Amino acid sequence: MFFENVKLALKAMKGNKMRTILSLLGIIIGVASVITILNLGNSATGSITSSISSSGYNILYLSPGSGSRNTDTFNELFGQTLTENFEEIDTVMPTVSSSTRIRQGNEITSCQIMGVETDYGNNMDCELEYGSWFDYTDNIFKRQVVVLGSEIAESLFPACDAVGNYVSIFRNQSKRYLVVGVLAEKDSTLSTSYNTSIFIPYNTFAQRFQNVSSVGTYVITVAEGYDPVKVTDKLTEYLDNLVGSDNYSLMSSASLAEMASSITGTLSSFLAAIGGISLLVGGIGIMNIMLVSVAERTKEIGIRKALGAPPRIIKGQFLTEAITLTLTGGILGIGLGIGISRIVTGMAGWTFSVSLSACILSVAFSMAIGVFFGLYPAAKAAKMDPIESLNYE
Amino acid sequence: MTPLIYMQDICRYYVVGDSIVKALDGVSMKVYKKEFVAIMGPSGSGKSTMMNLIGCLDTPTSGKILIDGDDTQGMDETRLAYIRNRRIGFVFQQFNLLGKISALENVITPMLYTGGISSSERRERAEHALERVGLKERMKHLPNELSGGQKQRVAIARALVTRPSIILADEPTGALDTKTSDQIMELFNELNEEGNTIAIVTHNEEIGNSCRRQIRIRDGKLEEPDVL
Repeated sequence: MFFENVKLALKAMKGNKMRTILSLLGIIIGVASVITILNLGNSATGSITSSISSSGYNILYLSPGSGSRNTDTFNELFGQTLTENFEEIDTVMPTVSSSTRIRQGNEITSCQIMGVETDYGNNMDCELEYGSWFDYTDNIFKRQVVVLGSEIAESLFPACDAVGNYVSIFRNQSKRYLVVGVLAEKDSTLSTSYNTSIFIPYNTFAQRFQNVSSVGTYVITVAEGYDPVKVTDKLTEYLDNLVGSDNYSLMSSASLAEMASSITGTLSSFLAAIGGISLLVGGIGIMNIMLVSVAERTKEIGIRKALGAPPRIIKGQFLTEAITLTLTGGILGIGLGIGISRIVTGMAGWTFSVSLSACILSVAFSMAIGVFFGLYPAAKAAKMDPIESLNYE
Repeated sequence: MTPLIYMQDICRYYVVGDSIVKALDGVSMKVYKKEFVAIMGPSGSGKSTMMNLIGCLDTPTSGKILIDGDDTQGMDETRLAYIRNRRIGFVFQQFNLLGKISALENVITPMLYTGGISSSERRERAEHALERVGLKERMKHLPNELSGGQKQRVAIARALVTRPSIILADEPTGALDTKTSDQIMELFNELNEEGNTIAIVTHNEEIGNSCRRQIRIRDGKLEEPDVL
């Protein structure tokens, strides 16, 4: 019987192609927008998360605020305090940074300058295109040596190898620095865009460049096997007790990724809700067309009743028709939605991913719409008086 | 022998505005197995009401109807539908075929509501019924591709196919020309001879008189009360 009903429904839909498509438009658009939104949300979250985590998922950035208490706490030895207190922390590297201009011959460019310790390059996975990172003695003796980011090197030394040449770095007056290394191209992280930065020894920076009273940013690497998010929470608690929550900021790729995915999550559920409303409107369209269909087929209902169809089966017939209708709309909508999100992700350069749960949800939801909005017209058909409907012209 | 149809003191009143219309007013009658009766009367006499009541499309205001021994009093729509499906085969003046499906599918339709008949058996029985009315070769046609007489034959096949207790025909020749009418009446005659019980509701004297027994109705009452 169910199979016969589906066949009947498909026949009825085929018989009124234009009407079927028009009445399904609401459902199709609703499902397509929900699918598009959820797929895009998925892809966007995926892209954001992967770009954040590519920049070092296990690295935290601790920046002291400018309060007077901080000078005492956040000194160069603070890193040691942290590594001693937290087994979860592998290394702590103090860094300082500023912006400056750098010149070679007639070429001048502005850049970020960072004072870092010798093992910074190693800890941050910085590969060198040419030369080498400065060593411990460079730091201890505050030598004027510099490692250039790839873009900086490219613009200052378009023709020749930078290593071994001198550049001038401005700070009130220009000082000459020996280029010892050039970085390979590297994706930016939260705090540093490597390609447009230059790196000098921490102590050189402290002495020659800026009167450093406290550390700029501690770059903390979380030891292997620990969840950076949990370590962030633990560290936050510790720092809140130590200096108060207003006097520092702690950032991590992990917690940022979490935040980003929760933002896109909220955004996509909000947009999905809007899609849901259009589905509701589509459902009302279905109810409307089903009422028309029931009225149009009063005679047929009368004949079927005369032939012995009980109310339950008449109801089933129209309910099946409504569900078949909305399900068709749902499937068309999923196809359209996947198509649209495919195009959009292609244009945005995100990785395309289909949210399977969204597809299942849409199918289930469009069926539920069929049941909900088909029930009243179907019940109306089932309740028709056999004689009146037989005599209906 | 228990009658197939047993009506006792049947009244069917309609409320129209402030007044009550007595469509049937105390009708009693019986139809036995293998009978071929005509229920006759001018329009407005109450014969359509009678047909609706026998066909379980309607229930009486008062009185008792037994269809093949089953008292229809107090039955809900589902039970009535069951009786219609198993016991009654309808033939209508306007054929009342479903227009979007083939003759064969039309004949299959009542068996869909019977349940417990496999699709191959449904098809076999429908083909057999269409063969009986001489339309086997046109069974794939849609109703609007058939002539009036052919449509009525399909309708008769549809009524036959469930092997009902009684075939109830409401003005079955009303929309047909004389020649076709005669052929249809001939078919009914044959079917009766094969053992089918048939009741034809008509206002046409000629048609009515070609049946074996006439039950005449006027103003909601039988002209010659049936002896119960």
